[in-house]
Amino acid sequence: MKEILEKIKTKYEVTDVLQKRADLLFFTIDKKMVLDILNYLKELEGFTHLVMLSSVDWLEENKFQLTYIINHPINKHDIAIRVDLNRDEATMDSIHHIWIHAETDQREIKELFGIDFPGSPGVDEDFVLEDWDEIPPMRRDFDTLEYSERTFFPRDGRKTYDTKEYMKSKLYPDDKQ
Amino acid sequence: MSIKDILSPFSAWKKVIKDPVTVKDPFNDRPGAPRYRGFHKNELDKCIGCGACEEICQNAAIDMVPVEGIETVEGDSGLRPMVDYGRCCWCALCVDICSTNSLTLSNEYTWIDSDPDVFRFIPGYDKKEWDNSKLGWTKPKNYDLNTYERVEMKELHPEERDKSFIEFVKGYSKEQAEAEADRCIDCGLCTATCPAHMSIPEYIKAIRNDDMEEGLRIMYETNPLPEICGRICTHKCETVCAIGHKGEPLSIRWLKRYIADQVPESKYKEVLEQGLEITPKSKKVAIIGSGPSGLSAAYYLSRMGYATKIFESLPEAGGMMRYGIPSYRLPYDQIDKDINYILSCGVEIEYNVKIGKDITIEQLEKDYDAVFSGTGLHLGRSTRIPGSEHENVFFATDLLREISLGTEIKVDEKIVVIGGGNVAMDITRSLARLQNQKYGKVDVLATCLEAEDIMPADREEVVEAREEKAIVDPGWGPKDIKIENGKIKGLNVVKCLSVFDDEGRFSPKFDEDKKKFFPAEMVVESIGQGMDLTYIDSIKDKLEFSDRGRIVVNEKYQSSLPWFFVGGDIIKGPDVINGIANGHIAAKGIDEFLNKK
Repeated sequence: MKEILEKIKTKYEVTDVLQKRADLLFFTIDKKMVLDILNYLKELEGFTHLVMLSSVDWLEENKFQLTYIINHPINKHDIAIRVDLNRDEATMDSIHHIWIHAETDQREIKELFGIDFPGSPGVDEDFVLEDWDEIPPMRRDFDTLEYSERTFFPRDGRKTYDTKEYMKSKLYPDDKQ
Repeated sequence: MSIKDILSPFSAWKKVIKDPVTVKDPFNDRPGAPRYRGFHKNELDKCIGCGACEEICQNAAIDMVPVEGIETVEGDSGLRPMVDYGRCCWCALCVDICSTNSLTLSNEYTWIDSDPDVFRFIPGYDKKEWDNSKLGWTKPKNYDLNTYERVEMKELHPEERDKSFIEFVKGYSKEQAEAEADRCIDCGLCTATCPAHMSIPEYIKAIRNDDMEEGLRIMYETNPLPEICGRICTHKCETVCAIGHKGEPLSIRWLKRYIADQVPESKYKEVLEQGLEITPKSKKVAIIGSGPSGLSAAYYLSRMGYATKIFESLPEAGGMMRYGIPSYRLPYDQIDKDINYILSCGVEIEYNVKIGKDITIEQLEKDYDAVFSGTGLHLGRSTRIPGSEHENVFFATDLLREISLGTEIKVDEKIVVIGGGNVAMDITRSLARLQNQKYGKVDVLATCLEAEDIMPADREEVVEAREEKAIVDPGWGPKDIKIENGKIKGLNVVKCLSVFDDEGRFSPKFDEDKKKFFPAEMVVESIGQGMDLTYIDSIKDKLEFSDRGRIVVNEKYQSSLPWFFVGGDIIKGPDVINGIANGHIAAKGIDEFLNKK
């Protein structure tokens, strides 16, 4: 994998290089270069398979991070390409024309993180959520607990005890402290 | 509604003659993957009922409920999680945060029942077929949702501290305190164990919110000596901290100190008396002794509106906190800060006055409506071994008091301390400092009956004493003090095999053949303290005493003489926080008594 990394370095500016395993290499690249490098690695270096596309919400740093994992079926090598997106402009170029099945990943990410991939077929259709009118649920500022409390009725007969108060009632009930 | 919505149910009919994609297989199980997140399991005896699982659950699927057969004890609330599978989404955050790793998920995921209520159950208590399943989700190694290491407390290096009495624990910075406070999961197990039942999670939360004034107010609800306790509290709370099960418990004591340290004395009145209205009461209370229990009683009585006056036999207030604890652990200005505030609340104090000598107890009864006595354990106890009556044999309590009074004490070049408790470590470390100042070297050795692992002193005290070049050689029974030509030569000891008998009574056993000799010119005894109750001789007949010679009091610390309340070390402890607690309870008892009077 060293060889391919050296090759990449001569063509692209990559940062945060991490050789996670002998057969798995991570690095970060600028948003503008993602399509270019994916095309290059697919067409010229044999990384012909898109394994997955995933997203992480780094709320505190005001960014989303997309990770494209691509695979070299002959050498059995994986490269994970990371790209940071400004959280306020959550848009990324679609790659469905390179790998057709990427449209499913992109549709999912659009629904769960609210990151748009203009031109990706069906990207605005519901993926798993129906009639969702909240902020995308995988965004970290989505308050899951608040949503559950508001949406799902508690079952009858549920009762919980406060640890501190319960211990007081059992161990020192007379003490008014 | 679109045309598609109307037509789509019918479009399903076109599949009616096709083979199903899924295959029903009644003969073979379809087990989940080995790490599949299925139904919960809980090891009930490992679980401590801290409620971290309930707190972290993003679907409010968990309730903490009492369970038959699980007792509420210190460190275990007795509650156990009950899961509502109508809400659980199997995210396993509850497993990953679990304080004891008792909660796990099995890989069992199939369960069909027509009664929805069966899907609410208490894992581990309501028996399920997957209870013993080995597969499923457990917290992954090398990954934690919390931090299980303490933020380290900076101390002066032993060589910087072993010559002086300046405070050697530096205290947390803002960043350090907030990082430490962040580790708290707000379970509240600590509150029950704290003798004063301090609202510990609440004041730790104040640190997270960077609201020191709120923190101070919370502390004063149950403890009017936070600077002092923030330094020398025996911190029983930390022994039950839920975080201690997987790592180091919260540094609760240092966090308390941090809050008190941040609020300057000049702001105390403004912070603590905001909106406070006290209706003065006509009744008066006398308090004997200005140790923690006396100060605590005085503070809470003054807050209730009573005129209170403390009678102190020594020239300054604080009792054992000032005259028993060396200033390198508890500096005098910090004692003053706590006490000055209490005195500023209208508590009167008279120094250098001894009850029973300068004023009789009868006089107090006549002049006041109630009396609280917290006179402490100030008398040294002797080993009574041959030679212990020699003039160069001292009691630790006497020496510590002399040091605090500023009197020069006798410090020889070679000293042996008999005792393994905190007082013994205090005098050992004080003498080491004084030897260093006088001779430029340390030659003090502490020995005690208890072996290293059962020494009564706090572990850190022993470690720090050794860092300061004192020798601690535990597990020896003192035999006699060797004297030649009227001068002490040293201490003869024999190996101590055990200290207590099977029933836990003090009954040391020795191996007389294993001997050792510790050379010394001076010996200090620190094997426990006794109380001086001569000031109540005249009312003794009307009081009840236990077999062990302690005054019998009720749960409000009231003796058989209704006007006479007793607390502090002579009743319970000995330590500062118990004194504070029973002073507070006694104050409430006195209020009840005076309201009826």
